Order: sequence, then C-alpha cells, then structure tokens
Amino acid sequence: MSDKLKQIINKQGEQQISPIDHADDIIQLVGFIIGEEEYAVPILTIQEIIKPIRWTRVPQTPAYVLGVFNLRGSVIPLLDLRTKFGLRPLKHSDETRFFVLKQGDEVAGFVIDRLTMAIRIKKTDIGAAPDTIAADDSMIAGVGKQAGRILTILKVDKLLARDF
Amino acid sequence: MDEFQEILQDFLVESFELIEQLDQDLVELESRPDDLELLNGIFRVAHTIKGASSFLNFDVLTHLTHHMEDVLNKARHGDLAITAEVMDVVLESIDLMKSLLSIIRDTSSDAGIEVGDCVVRLDIISGGKGDVQTPVAVAPAAKVVEEVVEEEVYSSDEPDYDNMDADEVEAEIERLLQERQNQDKAKRAAKIAAGESVPEAPPEPMDEAEAKPAPKATPAPAPVPVAPRATPSRATESDDAKAAAPATRAPAVVEQTIRVDVKRLDHLMNLIGELVLAKNRLMKINVDVEERYEGEAFLEELNQVVSIVSLVTTDLQIAVMKTRMLPIGKVFNKFPRMIRDLSRELNKKIELEISGEETELDKSIVEEIGDPLVHIIRNSCDHGVEIPSIRVAAGKTESGTITLKAYNEGNAIVIQIDDDGKGLDPEMLKNKSVEKGIITDAEADLMSSKEAFALIFKPGFSTAAAVTSVSGRGVGMDVVKTNIEKLNGIIDIESELGVGTSMKLKIPLTLAIIQALLVGVQEEHYAIPLASVLETVRISKDEIYTVENRSVMRLRDDVLSLVHIGDIFEVERILDSSEHAYVVVLGLGSSKLGLIVDTLVGQEEIVIKSMGDYLKGIEGIAGATIRGDGGVTLIVDVAALMQMARGVKAKAMVEESSSSSKKEKTRASDYKVMIVDDSKTDRMIMRKALEPLGVTIVEAGDGQEALNTLKQGDHNFDAMLIDIEMPRMDGYTLAGEIKKYNKYKNLPLIAVTSRTGKSDRMRGVESGMIEYITKPYSADYLASVVQRNVNFKSEFL
Repeated sequence: MSDKLKQIINKQGEQQISPIDHADDIIQLVGFIIGEEEYAVPILTIQEIIKPIRWTRVPQTPAYVLGVFNLRGSVIPLLDLRTKFGLRPLKHSDETRFFVLKQGDEVAGFVIDRLTMAIRIKKTDIGAAPDTIAADDSMIAGVGKQAGRILTILKVDKLLARDF
Repeated sequence: MDEFQEILQDFLVESFELIEQLDQDLVELESRPDDLELLNGIFRVAHTIKGASSFLNFDVLTHLTHHMEDVLNKARHGDLAITAEVMDVVLESIDLMKSLLSIIRDTSSDAGIEVGDCVVRLDIISGGKGDVQTPVAVAPAAKVVEEVVEEEVYSSDEPDYDNMDADEVEAEIERLLQERQNQDKAKRAAKIAAGESVPEAPPEPMDEAEAKPAPKATPAPAPVPVAPRATPSRATESDDAKAAAPATRAPAVVEQTIRVDVKRLDHLMNLIGELVLAKNRLMKINVDVEERYEGEAFLEELNQVVSIVSLVTTDLQIAVMKTRMLPIGKVFNKFPRMIRDLSRELNKKIELEISGEETELDKSIVEEIGDPLVHIIRNSCDHGVEIPSIRVAAGKTESGTITLKAYNEGNAIVIQIDDDGKGLDPEMLKNKSVEKGIITDAEADLMSSKEAFALIFKPGFSTAAAVTSVSGRGVGMDVVKTNIEKLNGIIDIESELGVGTSMKLKIPLTLAIIQALLVGVQEEHYAIPLASVLETVRISKDEIYTVENRSVMRLRDDVLSLVHIGDIFEVERILDSSEHAYVVVLGLGSSKLGLIVDTLVGQEEIVIKSMGDYLKGIEGIAGATIRGDGGVTLIVDVAALMQMARGVKAKAMVEESSSSSKKEKTRASDYKVMIVDDSKTDRMIMRKALEPLGVTIVEAGDGQEALNTLKQGDHNFDAMLIDIEMPRMDGYTLAGEIKKYNKYKNLPLIAVTSRTGKSDRMRGVESGMIEYITKPYSADYLASVVQRNVNFKSEFL
C-alpha cells in the first residue's frame, strides 16, 4: 500500500517538475470560437471572462465598437470581434462571453461566441502566420497546431489598439 | 482697616498657594490612599485655611473647610477609606473653596456661593446625618471702599501677580510667553529674509527639575508655616515651571503639515467617487423600497441611515477635495514680473493689481489655468492698454492698470481680468471676421455685441494690425478657450469702447464630480454638465420653424437655433416621437444652442470617469459615468456638441421609418403571427385554428415576453393575437408599448378575449387594437380575421 502510494506521489512529483523544466517552451492560452474558427490569446493577458451584461452605445464609433460597460466601477470599452472580423453580427446566446483583456493600462472587453478551453501548447507547435497575412499590422501572432486542430493566436496589443 | 486689608492680602496669597499644592497632592492621594504623609499635608492645608478664615469672619468658607477637615481627619486616623466617591466630594469642595477665595478677593466677602450641598455630603461621609446649617454671609457695606483700592492696584501697568488666582497667573504667563515667541518668530523671519539658514524652531530644552513643581515632590513633614515662602520667589518659580510646558507644545502647533504623494490623493479621490456612486445607488434603492413598503416602521430607520450616509459622503467628498486645493496665488505670483517685462518691451506703463490670491482651487486646475491666464494678460497688455501718449490724449492716466482677481461664486471660482484700455470694438471685430472668412455677412448682421466679442476666440483671428513678439498670431485666445472649456469652465467678456475690457473665467472647483442634467433620447440617456445648462423648455412640434435649413424656435425675444440630440449622436429612431419635446438651452460663453431631447430625467451628481485610451477623444463625448442602477451614461461635451451642431442639417422631425423593405411573400409560411396568451390551452386553440393557413406561429406567455421577442427583432411579424388579461403585462399595456415603436405602427394587433363589455372594446381601440374577437370563437372566424389583416394572398390557400 505505502509503496503504491509512494509511487503515485513520485509520479505526481515528476509531472509537476517536468513542465517547470520546459516552462520556457510551453505557452498557456485560452481558446474561444468566433464564427467557425478557434482563436486563442495568452492566458496572462486575460483579466477576466464574464457573462454578457448591459452596455451603453457610444456614438461616432465604428460598428464593431458596441459601446462601454461597467466592470465594478470602471468604464470599459466593448468590442465585437465578429463584426471586427467581418462576420455578420449574431445575437448573444447563453454561450456568449465577454473576454476582458488587459495589457499595461489598456483594458477592453471583447465579445466572443463561445469559450473552448485553456490550452497548453509547446512553442515548437506554433507556426508563423501565413505569408499572405503576416504583415506587421496583422492581428495574428501565429498559428498553433495541436491534436488535429488549428488555433489562430491573436496579438493582444493589436486587439487593444485603437484603429479608427 | 488697613491692617485688616493687609491681613486679607496675606491670607489670599497663602490660600491660593496652598490650594494649588492641594490639588496636586489630592490627585496623588487617590493613587496612593495609604500615604499618611500626604494625608497629613492635605489635612493641614484645610486646617490652616479654616483657621484663618474664621479669624477673618468668612463664615461660609470656615463652614466648608471645617467639614472638609472632618473628613480628612477621619481619613488620617484610618477611620475612613479614601475611595473614588469620597475623593469626588473632596475635590468638589476644593473647587468651591477656590471659588470662594476668588469672590473674597474680588468683593472682600464670601457671599454668593452655595456650599450647603457639598457640606451635607462631606458630613455624611464623615459619619454625620447631613443636617447641618449653612451660615449665610452678609456682605458688609463698609468694605466697598477697599474694593476701590484693590481695583486701583489692578489697573496699574505692572500686573499684580500677588493678587491673581491660579488661572489668572497662568493666563498672564501664557500671554508673556506668546509675546516672547512672537518676538522670536519675527527674529527668525528676519534672519530667513536675510538669507541665513535657520533651523526649524527647536523645542526649548526642558529642565527636569524645573518641569516638576518642586513643592509637590516634597511633602512637608512639618506643619506648613503660615507664610511658607516669600511671594515673589514663588511666582518666578511657578513661572519657570509653567514656561517649560507650553514651550514644548508651541513649536508643534506651528504649521502642522505633511507631504503626501499626489497619487495617493488621486486614489483617495477615486475611491470617494466610487462612494458617491454607491450613495446614489443607495438613494435610488431607498426610493424603490419606500414605494414598495409604504408606511412600514423600518422605513424611517432606513431613511435615517441613508441620509446619514449621504451627508457623510458629501462631507467626505468636500474634505478630500480640500486636501487637493492649492491657493491660486501660486499661479498669480509669476505675473508681476511678466507685466514688468512686457511693459518695458511694449513701451507702455502698466500696473498690475492682484487680489484674492488666497482663493483655493483643485491642484489639477491650478496647473491648467496658468497658460490661459498668461495669454489673456499678454493680450490685455498688447491690445488692451494703450501707449502713454494715447492714454493721456484720451484723458486717462498715463499708466494703465490690469486687475487680476479671484473669488468664489457658488460652486465655482471666478478669475477676473480687467484692464482700463481701449476696449473691444464689436463692429471692427465683425468686419475683421468677415474679411478673414470666419463668419458671413449675414451672420455678422445678426450678431450681438457679446457674440462679436467672442469672435476673438475663433481660431485664426487676430485684431492686431502687426504681429508682435507678444501676440497677434491668432493662436493664443483660441487656445485659451479650448483650455478653459477643457476644465468645464466658461468665459464671459464685457467691454466698453474706450473704457476697458473685463474677462471672467468661471471654473468649477473640481473636475472629478459635477452636477449634471440627465436627458433621454429614444432608449438612451445622456448627462449634460449643469454648468452649461441655462434652462429647459417644453415645446410642441409646431413651435419649431425651419430657417435656412436649420431648425429654430422663438425663445421669448430671441431666436434659438435647435438641434436634435439624436441627430448628433446617431440615435436610431425606433420609438415614435411624441407631440411634445423638451429643449435644453445650452449656453457656453455667449453662444447658445437649443438641444432637443425626448425626456428630462433629472438632476444628479455624477462622477466623471474616463473611457480609457481606446475611446478617448470621441467627438461630443466628454466621458462617462456610472449611474445608480449600475449602467453607464455618457457625458456630453457641450463645447464640441455646439461645434458639431453646425454641421448637422435640420431633419424632418418625424422621420418615416424606412423599414418598408418588406420581403415579398412567396410561401404561406412567410407570414408570421405571434400569439400572446397566458393560458396554454388558449394558445393551443388559436394555433389549431391558424395551422390550416400554413403561417408561421410564435407564442408568448405574457405581454412582457411578447415585447421582448418583438424587440429582439428576430422575426418580422405580420400580426399579433393578444389576450387582454395576462400576468406581468396585460394586453392593453402591451399594445400601447408596441405602438410606441415607429416600426410597428402598422402591425395589426388583434385582441382575443372573453371580456365583452363595451368599455373593454373602447380601451382596446384606444390602445391600438384594430380587431376585437371575443371568446368563444370559431376556428374559421379567427382564421379569416387573421387572413384579412395580414393581406393573406389567396393563392396560398
């Protein structure tokens, strides 16, 4: 019995150690769906993920800027990624979420269709964005391949940059 | 008599001395009740005073001290424990004794103070029954003469320490000390002025021995002599002892300040902002609760708490705001030098008068106000004040005066810059502006003098014939206006040709929290800073005229140009506009604008929040605030809005909804009918009746649900069947709500109900129902009514 337990503990210990050994090689992402495709952003850029709440329209802004909402006393812009990606706007469903992304002082909420999961992916599994869209002003940081699926990893700083 | 007077003086001096010592001893006694030495000393004091007072015929004092002596005697012999209660009475009697002695000193009689109460209590403590007779002292008339003599002594220049009681001595010491300190301070200031570095006033070294009153530390083992010490020496000693104490306190009182990082204050201000929002929310909830539980007892308590919270929040807000305040003198200080330099450069004689530099403003505003003021003052020097020869020719003094003053006015601070120069010429300003293409001839004709003065703030405007190094490039005043408006401030110009110009800058005390008017347009709300709202007017549609493609209205004697807030902020007109509208008259400096809104919500204190870098600088929006219900409301930037209003062409007030792009029906299922009924059976019956037609049917369980389905806009309904009696929202209300929307103005609403009364039918028609079917009905009848109302094409049958 105790031997078995020891074995398990050792095994767990190994598991815990191994990722640390390769911490540099692994990136943690959170995946989400917009339209038909799966996208991902680094987990550390996510301040929080909330269910849709009421927002206020802001005039004189592009269509993908839905407006602003109140996140515990802070006024935060809300952007619709579907519209931004050129998709038809969709009514919010039970699976719709607001992704609140933060980088430096910039904070914004993004509407996504559905959350998938937290993903650990090796750096070596991430390829560059296709040449045709790999320009500097592209929002795509790279394309991750894992277990038969393809993730488009987005540049958070580009998402948070005002482009109007 | 002189002999008596002499004895009396000695008695008083001695007694006051003794009593002062007594006080200290008694307090010590309380902590060490078994100290026989102390008790003996105290007893002797009481005994001495008693003896002397009886000799001098002060019966009341004798009576009191006699009973004190009794109590203390018992304690001395161990018959009475000194408890806190006993001590209270003894201390009280000593206070009485002091008062009596003061009275004796002032009137040479011990009448006028009631000691009976205290004596009774003393008697009870010492074991008596408390039935003692208090003698009544009669002030002898003969002593009046002595009083005069005494007063003469008092009025002499050198204060008579001998005749003072403890308090007076202290006051006198305090006074002398103050005098000394002031002298020191003046010396220090003089030294600082002379450029010497002087350390901050150090606390005066305190002599240990002097700090402790010597007599207290050494309880006299032998009976206290009748005249323990020569009076003058005693006075100096107590002087020293007391001097040490206030001296250590005094430097601490001098300007107690600490430096605080502004970031911390900003953070504090943010937190207060949150608190104000929470308070608003609490007040809103309170109103709701009041409505729901009217007359309940707990409401009053709730009300109290809410009002306390609201009061304290307001106070806190003001207190924190004050911590951020700086005197405007900080900005004003640099102007005398500037004026001096400018007057040399321009060969003019200009004097600057500054007042109100102690007026306080929020730090952030003080920082922002400097540049605009520099521009305005430069402008006054350059364009306002004339050169000496012209001034003299115009009958003015050779040197011009610019007055700079600041003062508070309500919730704002006013900075006023006056000059006695040549003043502004409205006609000249208009001509110049027309010349430069800033305004048209027609506009110039309509302009009042005030509006003409405001032209100097237009970008590209400069009245100076030649550009000098000082001004005239046409940039300055434009910047002034922008900066002041950024601070939510307004500029007002008054000028008289040849007499001078007066410019008033009215700036709010703080930037973070403002009063706002909340207005509604369609389903949106906006907050307008109340400082820019002049008035609100309710008008009907036919009071709006169109002149040169712009909407205008008559406001008393003026013509006010109008703009709909919905046109500026691209608000979708989904609700049918009613016959009436509200006009919010906005004023900024001399320009006015009428802003048409659908509803006025009310006045509220709002906290300005930034919308972050992402949405910074949206035209017409100054920021956002969070309302009591947790929603975000945008704050209107009045200055930008007035600018935008110029570009907005008048639109017809009632816009026809352009949703006529209805698709051609190609199938029976293209027709959509909503059935609203709370009874599932009824819904089923209706569904069964309509199914043969092949139309698409959507069901809703009550009015609210139906309205939500409609608002979501997933379906384009061709007709609705509505039950009247439903929970949450009944049929009449539902019909009324639906008819508010332009889009559904022509949507056929069919009432299906068991209410058959004529009044019910009437209400149905009033609320917008076009057909009225009473239950029970035949399936065919229902189907035919629906067919008729949706223009059902017969080929689908």
